[in-house]
Amino acid sequence: MISKRHLEVLMHKILFLFGSVFVLSVLVFYVSRLAPGDPLVSYYGERAEKMSPEEREWAENKLGLNDSIHVQYIRWLQNAFQGDFGISYKYKMDVTEVIGGRIGNTLILGGIGFVLIFVLALALGILCAWQEDKLADRVICRIGTITSCIPEFWLSLAGILIFATALRWLPSSGAYSIGKENSLADRVWHLILPLSVVVLSHLWYYAYMIRNRLLEEVRAEYVLLARMKGLCRRQVLFGHCLRNAMPAYFSLMALSVPHVLGGTYIVETVFSYPGIGTLTYESARYQDYNLLMLLSLLTGMIVISCNMLAQAVSERIDPRLRMDDRRNYEEVDRI
Amino acid sequence: MSELLEVRNLSVSFDTPAGEIQAVRDVSFTVKAGEVLAIVGETGCGKSVLCKSILRLLPDIARIKAGRILLNGTDITDYREHDMCGLRGRVFAMVFQNPMTVLNPSLSIGVQIAEAVKIHRPGMSRQAVEQRVLELLRMVKIDHPEERSRQYPGHLSGGMRQRCVLAIALAGEPALLFADEPTTALDVTIQAQILNLFREVQAKLHMASIFVTHDLSVAAMAADRVAVMYAGRIVEIGRVEEIFRDPRHPYTWGLMRALPILSGGGRRLYSIPGMPPTLINPPKGDAFACRNEYALDIDYEKQPPLFPVTDTHFAATWLLDERAKGLAVKAPDFGWREAGEMGTRPAAKPGSSLVKQTDQPAESDIILEVQHLTHRFPLSKKETLTAVDDVSFQICKGEILGLIGESGSGKSTVARCIMNVYRPAGGEILYQGIDVCDPKAFRTHKKMLQSSRQIIFQDADASLNPRKKICDIIVEPMKLHGVKPPRGTVRAEAAFWLQRVGMDAAYLDQYPGALSGGQRQRVAIARALSMEPAFLVADEPVASLDVSMQAQMVNLFKQLQEELGFSLLFIAHDLAMVRFLCDRVGVMHRGKLVEISPVEELFHHPKQPHTRRLVESIPVPKFDWIGQERRRDR
Amino acid sequence: MRDGFRVVGIRQTTEPPVSVSGSRRQGKPVVSVLVLLLLAVGCLTCDVFVQRNPSYLDLAHSCVAPNREFVFGTDTMGRDIFSMIWYGGRISLGIGLVSTFIATAMAVVLGAVSGCASRRMDGVIMRAVDILLSVPSLLVVILLQAVLGKAGVLSMSLVIGMTGWMSMSKVIRTEVRQIKNSGYVTASRCMGGGFFHILWHHLAPDFLSSVMFMVIMSVRTAIVSESTLSFMGIGLPVEIISWGSMLSLAEQALAGRAWWMILIPGIFLVTTLVCLTNLGNCLRRRVTARHSNL
Repeated sequence: MISKRHLEVLMHKILFLFGSVFVLSVLVFYVSRLAPGDPLVSYYGERAEKMSPEEREWAENKLGLNDSIHVQYIRWLQNAFQGDFGISYKYKMDVTEVIGGRIGNTLILGGIGFVLIFVLALALGILCAWQEDKLADRVICRIGTITSCIPEFWLSLAGILIFATALRWLPSSGAYSIGKENSLADRVWHLILPLSVVVLSHLWYYAYMIRNRLLEEVRAEYVLLARMKGLCRRQVLFGHCLRNAMPAYFSLMALSVPHVLGGTYIVETVFSYPGIGTLTYESARYQDYNLLMLLSLLTGMIVISCNMLAQAVSERIDPRLRMDDRRNYEEVDRI
Repeated sequence: MSELLEVRNLSVSFDTPAGEIQAVRDVSFTVKAGEVLAIVGETGCGKSVLCKSILRLLPDIARIKAGRILLNGTDITDYREHDMCGLRGRVFAMVFQNPMTVLNPSLSIGVQIAEAVKIHRPGMSRQAVEQRVLELLRMVKIDHPEERSRQYPGHLSGGMRQRCVLAIALAGEPALLFADEPTTALDVTIQAQILNLFREVQAKLHMASIFVTHDLSVAAMAADRVAVMYAGRIVEIGRVEEIFRDPRHPYTWGLMRALPILSGGGRRLYSIPGMPPTLINPPKGDAFACRNEYALDIDYEKQPPLFPVTDTHFAATWLLDERAKGLAVKAPDFGWREAGEMGTRPAAKPGSSLVKQTDQPAESDIILEVQHLTHRFPLSKKETLTAVDDVSFQICKGEILGLIGESGSGKSTVARCIMNVYRPAGGEILYQGIDVCDPKAFRTHKKMLQSSRQIIFQDADASLNPRKKICDIIVEPMKLHGVKPPRGTVRAEAAFWLQRVGMDAAYLDQYPGALSGGQRQRVAIARALSMEPAFLVADEPVASLDVSMQAQMVNLFKQLQEELGFSLLFIAHDLAMVRFLCDRVGVMHRGKLVEISPVEELFHHPKQPHTRRLVESIPVPKFDWIGQERRRDR
Repeated sequence: MRDGFRVVGIRQTTEPPVSVSGSRRQGKPVVSVLVLLLLAVGCLTCDVFVQRNPSYLDLAHSCVAPNREFVFGTDTMGRDIFSMIWYGGRISLGIGLVSTFIATAMAVVLGAVSGCASRRMDGVIMRAVDILLSVPSLLVVILLQAVLGKAGVLSMSLVIGMTGWMSMSKVIRTEVRQIKNSGYVTASRCMGGGFFHILWHHLAPDFLSSVMFMVIMSVRTAIVSESTLSFMGIGLPVEIISWGSMLSLAEQALAGRAWWMILIPGIFLVTTLVCLTNLGNCLRRRVTARHSNL
C-alpha cells in the first residue's frame, strides 16, 4: 500500500540523507585540511621530511594540494560525482579499492557483533525484568555492571593475554592464518576473541536499558487492566510491556551504531584485524585525505540511515510518537 | 439466591520497610448473584486493596494473612496465578479509578477489547471477534464504534476511556464486576453519565458488582447493599435503605452528615474531624474512636465486634452493646426530608434569606474587575485554542466568588491570567484599579500586587517543592518580600499559620512527601495566607480530595475568610461544595462565562441549559421512602 | 457505668511516628566511596610514600616481574610500575575531572539555553546535538587532537570534554523543561519569586541531583577515553605517565609475556571505573520505588 504520501515522505528522507552527507563532507574536508600535519609524509614516508622546497612544490602539485581549499573541494566533488574518490596517499591505490578489500571484514565483525549484542541484550533484559530483584537478576546486574566498566581495549588485551598467550586456545591477531584465506573455520576461529570483546563490552549497557525500561512499563497501570482481562504474566510482559518498550529500544539501537562501530575500530586495532577501523584511525592520523573523506562519508551514511530507519520503525509501533514529537532518548554515555 | 462470593475474615498486609501495613483487617461479607454491593469509606481505608486482593492483583509485598475467599462455595484463596488467570475476565472483572492511565497508550481501543474477547474464547473467528468488539462498544454507548475502535486512547476523553475500560471488563461476561471509584477522576457531568451507564449495564446483564466509592450519595444511587469501611475494617454493612434510614455506626453518621446534599441549605458543612489513621500501627481499640464525638471509654480499649441490628444489617460499635443501652446516644438528624424535596424539585426555596443583595456594588468596594478577558493557546502553526473567550466579572471586597465548569472550560486559565502567569490576548484585569496586564503598571506596583494577591493551586503535591521542609515552604513568600515576622522568628510565624489551618506545629520539619493530600493542601493555604493577602485565588483546591476532606477544606476556607476578611475567587468543578462557600457563582462553559448570579439563585433558577445540567448532575439519592418514613415517624 | 460504657468523645491519641529511614542506608555504595577515597588520597600524597622516581629508566631492571623490590614489577623501559600507578593516577583522574568540568559546563549552558528557549530554537539545538551524537566520537577526538597539536594533559582534557557534553546536555534540557513547568515554580513565580530566586531555591537542588549521575558517568567516560586514546597512541605520549599511556606499551608486554604490565594498571583502571559506576547508579533516580504490577 504505497500511497502518494508515503512516496513524498520517502523522497523527503532521501533528500535529508543527501543533504546531511553533503554537510558532513564539507565539514570533514575543511577540518581535515585546516588541521596541522603533513599529507606528504603519508605519501612519501620518511622521504618527505628531506625534500627541498622545489620538490615539495612539485609533489604538492601532483597531489593537487597547492590550490585553494575551495577549489580543492569543488574538484573533489566533481570527481566524486563521477565515481572517482581519488587515491590513498599511503596505499597508492584507488581509495575504493583500499576500502573494498577490507570493508567485508569490518561488516562481518561489526554486523555479527551488533546482531548478537541486541539479541542477547534483549534476552538478558527480559530475563532480569522477569526475575526482578530475585537472585538471578541481582547476580546478572552485578556481573553486568563490572563488565560494562572494562574498557574495550583492555578487555581485548586481557583476552589475548589469557586465551592466546597463556592458554594458546585462540589466535591473537589477524582475520585468518596465512594461506588459509578461504577456510571458513579458520576465519571463525580468528573471529571468536574480537567478537566476544565487542559483544561483552556493549552488552550490559543495552541489557540494563531494556531491563529498566521494562521495569518502568511493568509499573504502569495498564498492566493491571491487562491482567484483569485474564492475560497471564508472560502474555502481559511480551504483549504489552515489551511492545511499549521496543520503540525506545529501536531508537537506541540506531543511536548505538556509531558506538558499536567505534568499538569495532578499537578492537580491530588491538587484534590487528584488517578492517576499516584501523584504516580510519590511520587515515585521520596521517592526513590521508581522500581515504578519510570516503570513510567518514560511509560511516556518516550508515549512522544517518540507521537513525531514520529506527525513527520510521518506532513511529509505526508507537502512535504516541506520531502524535507529538516527544522522543525520549536514553542517555548515551559511552565513548 | 446463592452466594456468589463469600469473603471470610480476610486480612491483607503489606510488608514495607517502615513496617507492616495492615490494609485490610478481618473483613467478611458476601455478594449474591446479580447484587450490587457498595463499599464506602475515605481514602486509605483499604477499599481498593480489598478488591484487588480478591482478584489477586496486588504487588508481591502484599499477602493475604488470614481468611478465606470462596467463589460459588469453592475456596479460591490458595489459587495460583495460573488458576486466577482463568477466573479474571471470565468470572471477575474490574474497572479502575483512573481511565487516563489504565489503557495501554500504544494499542488501539479495538485491539485492547479484542484481546479481552479472545482470551476466553480462543477459537473465535476474526469476524466474530470484530462483531463482538463493536457490540461491546455499542453496549457502553460509544458513538461511531467502527471508527472509535481504530483510535488510540490518546484520542479519547476521560469519560470515553472509562467506557472503553468498561467494555473490556464486560468482554468476558463476568459474573462479578469490581468498580474501583470509576467516576472519581471524571468531571461531574460525565460522572453522572457513567454512573447511569453502570446501572443500565448491570441491570441488563444481571451481573453482581462491587462498587467502591468515597461518596455515600453515589453508593445510595448505585447499590443494593452498602458496606462502610474504616481503617481496614467493615464497620457497618446492610441493605441500602437500612444504612441510610437507620445508620448505627458513628462513622456512617459522620459520612452522612458530611454530604453536602444533606446540609439542608445550612451555611456550614459538617465534617468529620481529623484524618484516617495510617495502618502501620493501627490504634488499639476502635480505630475511629479518636475522631468520634460519641466515643465510649471502651472504644479506646477494645475493638467492637459486629453487632447485628437486623438479619441483614450489622454494625461494629459498642453503642449497640447491651451495656450501652442506657446511654441514649441517638443518631443525629440528617435532614433527608429536606434533601428529598430538593432532589425531586429544585424549585424556589421560599424565604431564602441567604441571598445577598446584588445591587450594583459601589465603585470602591470592587477589588478585582475582569473585563472582556480573552486568552488563546497556540496548538500548532495554524490552529489556536481559545481557552478564555470574552469573560467579564467583578469581585467585591470580602466576597467569595465561585467559578465552576468542566475541565477544559477555561477556569484555571482565568485564574492564571489574573495572577499574571499568562499574559491574556485581550481584555483588562483591574486589581484595585491597577491594570495588571499592562507591564508598566505591573512593574510599578509589583511588590504590592505580589504580596496582596495569592494563589492556591489544584495540585498541592506539585506546588510544594518536595525537597523543602514545610517550615521553609510556608515562609517562602515572607522571605521573598522581606516581611519582618510579626511573631518574632520566621519559624514561629510558620508554626502560627500551620496551626491556623488546623495542623500541628510538629509538621514543621517534615517534607511534603510525608503528608496526606489534605494536609498538603493545608500547607499550601498556610503559605498563601502568611502574606495576609487581600485577594486569594483558589484553583480547584478540593478537586483531588475525598468528600469528607472536601468538607473540611470548604469549612476551613469559610472560617478563614470570616476571620481574615480576604476576597476569594474559588474555582471548582463541583457545584455541591461551592454552594456552602460562595456568595456568587459564575459558570464557565467552553471558555465563556455563561451565567453569573448569587448562589441560591443559581441553584433554584438556573437560567442556562448548561447550568441546569450541572445542577442536575449533583448525585441526589432519590429515595421515595425517605420522606415517607420520616413523616410516619413523626 | 460499668466497663467503660460512657461517652467520652474525642480523645487526643498520639500516633507513633512512622520511621521510613530504616532501609535507606542499605544500598549505599560505602565500599565504592571508600575505595575511591583511598585511590584519590594515594594519588595526591604519593610523594610521601613512593620512593622511586616513576620516570627513571632503570635499564638494568627492565621487565622485571613483581618481586619484593619492585612490588608491581617494572615495564619494558625499566620504570617502576608501583610508583607509576600512583603518579599516573594523578594524571588519569585529573584528566577525568577536568574534562568532566569542561563537558558539564558546556552541557549546562547549552542544555539550559535549549530548555528555556522557544520551541523552535529548542528543536534546532537538539537536532544539532543529535547529529553530533551520531558521529563516532573517536573520529572527532582524532580530528580535534590534530587541530590542537601535540597532546598534553590540558589539550586531552579539552578534547575529551568537548566530545562528551552532548548526552548530558540532552538530559539537562529535559530536566529544565520539566521543572520549568512544575507547579512549585509557578507557585513561586506567583509569590513574586524572581529568576534568581527560582534558580537557586527550586531549580538548582532538583537539577543537581539528576545531573550528578551524569557528571559521575562523565568522569568515567573521560577516564576511559583518555586511556583508550593513550593506548592507541593518539593520546598522551609514553613520557607522560598515565594509566592509559602505561598500557600503550602493551604490544611489547605481550611479546615479552609481561602480564603485570597489562593487568596491574588495568585492574586499577577497572576498579576506579566500577566504583564510579556504583556511585553513579546510587545517585540515579530509583525507578523501582513503586511496586511492580506484574
